[in-house]
Amino acid sequence: MSLIEIKDLKVHYPIRTGFWNRITDSVRAVDGITFNIEAGETYGLVGESGSGKSTTGKSVVGLEKVTSGSILYKGQDITKAENRRKLDYNRDVQMIFQDSLSSLNPRKRIEDIIAEPLRNFEKLSKDDEKLRVLQLLDIVGLDADALYKYPHQFSGGQRQRIGVARAVATNPKLIIADEPVSALDLSVQAQVLNFMKKIQREFGISYLFISHDLGVVRHMCNNIAIMNRGRLVEIGTRDDIYNHPLHIYTKRLLAAIPETNVNQREAHRASRLAVEKVYQEQQSKYYDDDGEAYPLVQISKTHAVALPEALAQQLATQEGEVQA
Amino acid sequence: MAENFEQHSDISAADLARLSQEAQAEATPSTAKIIWSEFKADRPAMAALFIIVGFIVFVMVGALFINTPKMMETNIMAYFNQPFTPEFWLGADSGGRSVAKQLIVGSRNSIGIAIGLTIISSTFGICWGLISGYFNGYIDWGMQRVYDFMMMLPMTMMIIVLVTIIPHYNSVTLTFIFSIFYWEGTSRLIRSRTLAEAEKDYVAASRTSGTSHWKIIFREIMPNISSLIIVDCTLSFAENIGVETGLSYLGFGLPSQTPSLGTMISNANDPNNITQYWWTWLPAALEIIILCLAISYVGQVLRRAADASQRQGAAD
Ligand SMILES: Nc1ncnc2c1ncn2[C@@H]1O[C@H](COP(=O)(O)OP(=O)(O)OP(=O)(O)O)[C@@H](O)[C@H]1O
Ligand SMILES: [Mg+2]
Repeated sequence: MSLIEIKDLKVHYPIRTGFWNRITDSVRAVDGITFNIEAGETYGLVGESGSGKSTTGKSVVGLEKVTSGSILYKGQDITKAENRRKLDYNRDVQMIFQDSLSSLNPRKRIEDIIAEPLRNFEKLSKDDEKLRVLQLLDIVGLDADALYKYPHQFSGGQRQRIGVARAVATNPKLIIADEPVSALDLSVQAQVLNFMKKIQREFGISYLFISHDLGVVRHMCNNIAIMNRGRLVEIGTRDDIYNHPLHIYTKRLLAAIPETNVNQREAHRASRLAVEKVYQEQQSKYYDDDGEAYPLVQISKTHAVALPEALAQQLATQEGEVQA
Repeated sequence: MAENFEQHSDISAADLARLSQEAQAEATPSTAKIIWSEFKADRPAMAALFIIVGFIVFVMVGALFINTPKMMETNIMAYFNQPFTPEFWLGADSGGRSVAKQLIVGSRNSIGIAIGLTIISSTFGICWGLISGYFNGYIDWGMQRVYDFMMMLPMTMMIIVLVTIIPHYNSVTLTFIFSIFYWEGTSRLIRSRTLAEAEKDYVAASRTSGTSHWKIIFREIMPNISSLIIVDCTLSFAENIGVETGLSYLGFGLPSQTPSLGTMISNANDPNNITQYWWTWLPAALEIIILCLAISYVGQVLRRAADASQRQGAAD
């Protein structure tokens, strides 16, 4: 059984207008997505800005009011608040937020920030609690003198470490990492990612790793889902996505990864332009008449893509020939 | 589970005392200390603080030694007695009553009403705004319609009507009547900031940490809008001194037998008093001006102390 099973999840934000606050329309931030997260793995959720990644992540930790669909944890549907309470759900599922500054209360000292989940989920004595906080600071590589400081006294990278320490505090099974490094510069990104991996090994945590950058995801994730306008357009293993992408949206994202090898810059640029040309010309082939993604069809045991059955098969065989 | 952490960190119970001591040495100073150093860095504000506190204590204590009914008795012999005489430091009014004593008792009444009004209306307004802004949705919608209704009522007229139909009222009833109408401004202000604050990720993080809604509202969000609350409270306090004064001046506040800053300023209604017997109204008017200025000075310092970025005092 998977750790988390997300089934046909939909989150629509109503648009209310007028004096009576009637619902006149809705923003379909997440529009029917299905995937499973296994224990101990890192699952990548990738898409451009506004594609509904954060909304998905927030639904999984229980911050978002879900319109329809279900999220199963230990066989219970945790989209219902009472089930979350019964399971002490957030003790097992925590979140690292996109913006490290706004995710730490500027009025609270680091000790109180990291101890917050401990105080609610585990009744520790004062000394045990302080010891745990010090150990957590040590694990994320911060000194003990951070204890009585306030968030604004730290750099972005250090703040994100504090966010990680808080998420790890109750030794959860799953952490939703919402673009944990996108606000950091490259060298700090690598540091934070490396110790996230280290923590994963040591504590056996699963991550739902949300990112808009396929370059970062490559180093972190075994399985990846590509999200576009609230729907999944392609699901697969790292190999499926990076070496055999089928959907044009995935190819575009891959083409957008910056090329670091100077000698191949020209070739890279040419291939990006080619992908862009196909995207402009063949959009109608890849999306249905309303401009929405098709339902997913299974290509192999691990690989699925949102295309009409025939086209998917055709592309898959083409891809196979190229590889051969 | 605790073993799990023990295993991956070198820190053990033995280090606890030493490490927390080290951290203590690096700690950021407490809010009270920050506010105090902020006052020390700003001399006029320090003076203003002393004026306000000293004055309030003086009138509160002084009024205890004055027998009000006796003071308010008419004394024909002292009709418009000149000021600066041994018996009448600030002269006497048309009833021969000591202006100095009236000023003390009147200030006590007016300031007491202003303090009570500020406490009641601000507390209510802050809670209303916080709750309305945090639970947006139907709760917010309902609370905002109540707010709209209250704003629709003509405030001054309603107070005058209530004061007229309630037969025996005193400072306490008057404070409550005012309070009904003075929480709205605060609540709207607080609500708009709460709406913005509730969107921030630290609120989401508190929710995933299992903290209850009420704790999030009052322990997480409220401290973050404390600068707004402090400024609003000081400004309301200054304004509320004016509320009672204004209505008493118009004759709808405290009854004329109860001295207040408003009834004293209303001496200026008589053109004779304005020019000839200036001592009957000028002290009260000056007092209000000085108090309001001093309060706004203190409010500024408190706001600076609350906003880390604007501090002038010792850096943290
Ligand atoms: N509270 C809300 N009310 C209405 N619409 C919302 C709300 N939150 C998000 N949306 C909309 O839902 C869509 C998805 O938002 P979401 O934050 O999940 O995107 P994202 O993939 O995380 O983007 P980014 O990479 O920029 O963080 C967006 O179009 C956004 O405008
Ligand atoms: Mg996001």
